[in-house]
Amino acid sequence: MIKKFIHQFASPKTYLYQVDRFYSYIFLISLITYTISITWGLLYTPEDFVQGNSYRIIYLHVPASFLSQSLYIAMAISSVTYLIWRVKLAAYLVIAIAPIGAMTTFIALISGSIWGIPTWGTWWQWDARITSTLILFIMYLGLISLHNSFSNHEKADKLLSWLVIVGAINIPIIKKSVDWWSTLHQSASITLTDKPSIDPVMLYPLIGSITGFFGLVICLVLLSSKYQIFIREKNKSWVKDYV
Amino acid sequence: MFNFAFNSLHEAIYMNGHGLYVWSVVILVFVSLLGFFIGYTIKIKKIKDKLNEPN
Repeated sequence: MIKKFIHQFASPKTYLYQVDRFYSYIFLISLITYTISITWGLLYTPEDFVQGNSYRIIYLHVPASFLSQSLYIAMAISSVTYLIWRVKLAAYLVIAIAPIGAMTTFIALISGSIWGIPTWGTWWQWDARITSTLILFIMYLGLISLHNSFSNHEKADKLLSWLVIVGAINIPIIKKSVDWWSTLHQSASITLTDKPSIDPVMLYPLIGSITGFFGLVICLVLLSSKYQIFIREKNKSWVKDYV
Repeated sequence: MFNFAFNSLHEAIYMNGHGLYVWSVVILVFVSLLGFFIGYTIKIKKIKDKLNEPN
C-alpha cells in the first residue's frame, strides 16, 4: 500500500506539475519573510552586551548551519526511499540536493570563520563542531564528484544512496559535538526540549530568518530537482510534451 | 522592539568596527543565493531549448 501510494504521487511527471503549481508562492512568501527578518535582525535589534554588533551574523550563520544538516537528512531519507521502494524521483532528489547542501555548508563555514575573528580572536579552530562541519562540506563535494564520474546513472544512484546513508552518522556528531567535547563553539541557543537561551527580542527575527532561508533553499531544491528530471527523463515523451 | 538600533546610517554600516564582518557575510549569502537561482534558471532554460529543438 505504501509502495502504491509513493509510486502514484512521486512520479517525476506529477512532481514537476506540482512544482510549477506551488513554486511562485513558496518563493514569494520566503523572500518576504527572509528580507523582513534579516532587516529586523541586522538593524532593529539591540546590540549584544558581550559580542557587540558582531552577534548579528547569527541571522545569517544559524539558518545556513541548520539547513546544511537538514538537507543532508533529506538526502538520507531520499536515499532510503530509493533503495527500499525504487522510487526514481528520490534518486533524482539526492543528487539535486547535494549542491545546495554544499552551498549552505560553505556559507555556514565561512560566516562562522568571519564571526570567529572578532569573537574568538581566530578565524579557524580544529574543534569538534567546526571540523565535523568541514567534513560535511567535503562529503557533499565528494558525493557530487562521485555521481558526475559515473556514466551509468542507475549505478551512480545506488552507490550514492548507500554512501549518503553511511555518511549520515556525521549529523548527530555535528549536533552533539558541543555537548560531547569541550569546544570553542557555543552550545545551541534554540533546542526543541529547552527554553531558548536567547532573548525574545533577538529570537523572533532569528526564527524568521531560519524560516525564510529554509523556504528559499526549498525553492532552490525544487529548481535543481526540475533540472535533474529534465536531464534524466529527456527521452520520455511526456517531457517533450511538457516543455 | 522595532526601534532602529543605530543613530545614523553611517553607524549602521560601521557597527562599532564590526560592520566589515557583518556586511561581508550579508554579501556572501546574497551572492550565493542569487548565483544559485540564476544558475539553475539558466540551466533549465538551456535544457528546455535543447529539448524543443527539432530532431
